[in-house]
Amino acid sequence: MDDNEKKIDFSAFLASMAHDMKNSLGMLLNTIDEVVSTCKPDKCPSHRYLSQMQYEATRVNFNLIQLLTLYKMDRGQFSINISHYPVSEIIEDIVLQNKPLLDFKGIEIFTECPDDLTWFLDSNLVSGVINNILNNAYRYAKSKILIRVEENNGWLAVGIEDDGQGYPEEMLGTGLRAGSGVSFATGSTGLGLYFASMVAKLHKNKDREGNISISNGGEYGGGCFTVNLP
Amino acid sequence: MAIDYKHKKILIIDDFTNFRRLMIRMLESFGARDIDDTYSGDSAILKMQSKPYDIILCDYNLGHDKKDGQQVLEEAKHRGLIRYSSIFIMLTAENTMPMVMGAVEYQPDDYLIKPITKEMLTRRLEKIVQRKADFEVIETAIRNKEYMRAISLCEEHADNNPKYRLEYMRIKSDLCMTIGRYDDAVAVFSEVLSLREISWAKMGMGKVYFMKGEYLMARDIFRSVIEENRTYMEAYDWLAKTLEELGALDEALQILLAAVEISPKAILRHQTIGDISSKMDDYDTAEQAFRSAISIGKHSCFKSPSYYTGLARTMVKKNSADEALSVLGDARSEFKGNREALFQAVSMEGIVYSGMNRPEDAKKSIQDATRLLEKLSGKIPVEATMDLARVCFDLGEKEKGMQFMQSIVRNNHDNDKILGMVQDVFRDAQMEEEGAKIISATKNEVIQLNNQGVRLIEESKLKEAIEYFEKAAKGLPENKIINANAAQALMMYMQKAGKNDKYIYLALQYLERVKNIDPSYEKYQKLLNMYEKVAGSHKSPDA
Repeated sequence: MDDNEKKIDFSAFLASMAHDMKNSLGMLLNTIDEVVSTCKPDKCPSHRYLSQMQYEATRVNFNLIQLLTLYKMDRGQFSINISHYPVSEIIEDIVLQNKPLLDFKGIEIFTECPDDLTWFLDSNLVSGVINNILNNAYRYAKSKILIRVEENNGWLAVGIEDDGQGYPEEMLGTGLRAGSGVSFATGSTGLGLYFASMVAKLHKNKDREGNISISNGGEYGGGCFTVNLP
Repeated sequence: MAIDYKHKKILIIDDFTNFRRLMIRMLESFGARDIDDTYSGDSAILKMQSKPYDIILCDYNLGHDKKDGQQVLEEAKHRGLIRYSSIFIMLTAENTMPMVMGAVEYQPDDYLIKPITKEMLTRRLEKIVQRKADFEVIETAIRNKEYMRAISLCEEHADNNPKYRLEYMRIKSDLCMTIGRYDDAVAVFSEVLSLREISWAKMGMGKVYFMKGEYLMARDIFRSVIEENRTYMEAYDWLAKTLEELGALDEALQILLAAVEISPKAILRHQTIGDISSKMDDYDTAEQAFRSAISIGKHSCFKSPSYYTGLARTMVKKNSADEALSVLGDARSEFKGNREALFQAVSMEGIVYSGMNRPEDAKKSIQDATRLLEKLSGKIPVEATMDLARVCFDLGEKEKGMQFMQSIVRNNHDNDKILGMVQDVFRDAQMEEEGAKIISATKNEVIQLNNQGVRLIEESKLKEAIEYFEKAAKGLPENKIINANAAQALMMYMQKAGKNDKYIYLALQYLERVKNIDPSYEKYQKLLNMYEKVAGSHKSPDA
């Protein structure tokens, strides 16, 4: 105790700040939610700004979650909590969460997921990854997003495809390393993909571990993100 | 499954006023009207005592140094304040919080991460209601203690409902462990582990190894569970228990101290630390541990007199007999009206006085303790009674000491571990030979007593057998064989003469006693089967 007080542990300090910010942000999000629900788009001229606020606040929230999770992983304080889940239920939850915003921007979201598919995973972590990818797709997709879930030779593949411009050429193949995607000009920090790859790696089964991949093309010709879990 | 919120009784527990207000507004928008809220775990427990809530939303983190959500849940479940149909949801600020996982039976119905949206909340609540409906038949069977039936229901559902297959298997394995069908439990664990290294299945495997005395195997399993999941607290306790059996007290202590770092408020763990460090003559650690247990237990349902007697014993070792007496005085006032607790405290006082060379006071303690013991209707708290016998032998009250020892042997005539402890007491009092004679004579006495009853059964004098064993079980409420035979007599009678509520009720009580003493007792399985056949479609009035 006494020794630590002299030296500020900066990352611990950051983490506790992030935690505090997250609490405030949670309240903010809930409050916006309430305002949005009481003001109808046709009667309230500021409605579209509210949606924008909602989107940005959600984004900050996802970032803070990732930051805190990565911090805990780095400190070895994180333990994964794997259980057995019906995958379709997790996906439905996520779609439900993201739909209001996507609707507002006129983006349709489709899902392809076998109803009886169950898998071993940490549902909080995996939902975090998908939420984050969807949040990005919101920015880049023009009108459509597809979540495609498949089982292949003992792997669960969850893919998110959109009809946007796709990932920039320089990110393909390199985007999976920490910080390699950092670009302050575009606002992309690569944190999202780094987080996704960490989460994938935490999912181990026997001697296999999860991974992620990004590519362009797919059903809608835009960006394709896939997380594969053993 | 849509929920009608109008008549639902809802409780919100969160230390943030704003958040509580927000949740109230959200639930009101669903149509809820009966919503209470509170800021702390203690006040939540009070509220739950006076009102049976249908839905409880509880924040995990209720402030520094306060009860956390998990403790609220554990206490509420332990006190029976949460019915099977009630919903308990744990709210957390983030998914990365070093949340402490309780044992499986103390897990909430779901976790929700803030911020919570309306859609999320309704959807989760509906899902839980649906799940509870799916599992209801099994829960009812468990509540009625029809374990065999519950197990076969689990098997049936696991095949018909693959989505929840794993959950049904988990419940099945749990039931198998409860009633001592270890091999069947192992079969479940192996099947699950062949799919995936799931913590509960690994834990289960470790527990079976422990039960079978294969401590090295058990140790390795518990270690690897902790390695994979640092907050799986149950694994720490089992690892410590295993190390203790292996004689590695120091290592066990280290494990428990590490667990306390992560989860500082688990009372039983503090007590175990106290017990182990006492054995290691580390009285400073012991004192600290017992004091922690006492202070955490003050407002908890998990408080026990053994923290006080443990502390008193430690203080004697630290040459502060006066402090020991004052601790026991605290115990007396804390457990007013609880005869068993008072008996333990008074027996301990006897030891303290005897050590202080105050034989008159010690004799007085013996008298008081004897009176209390008589009122415990046959129940013999083994350790405290041994303490009392030691004091008697110290003071030269040999006959009285013998009586206490005999009552222990009578209740536990087939329990080698306890008989071994009895022998130790005799040896310490330099009465080894005499003690051995008493032990074997008393054992014989119980065997005779039992045989006589068994003869009545064999002669089909079932009415008489029932009466006979009822009386015997009253005198020996903790004797496995007597209780088992009491149950058997009742059930054989009902097989012939038809069932009746009174006998079914009695039979179940005896069976539960047997289960609590030794679930792996071979005869218990047979009796349980018999019970479920006899009780059949019988429904208890509260079902």
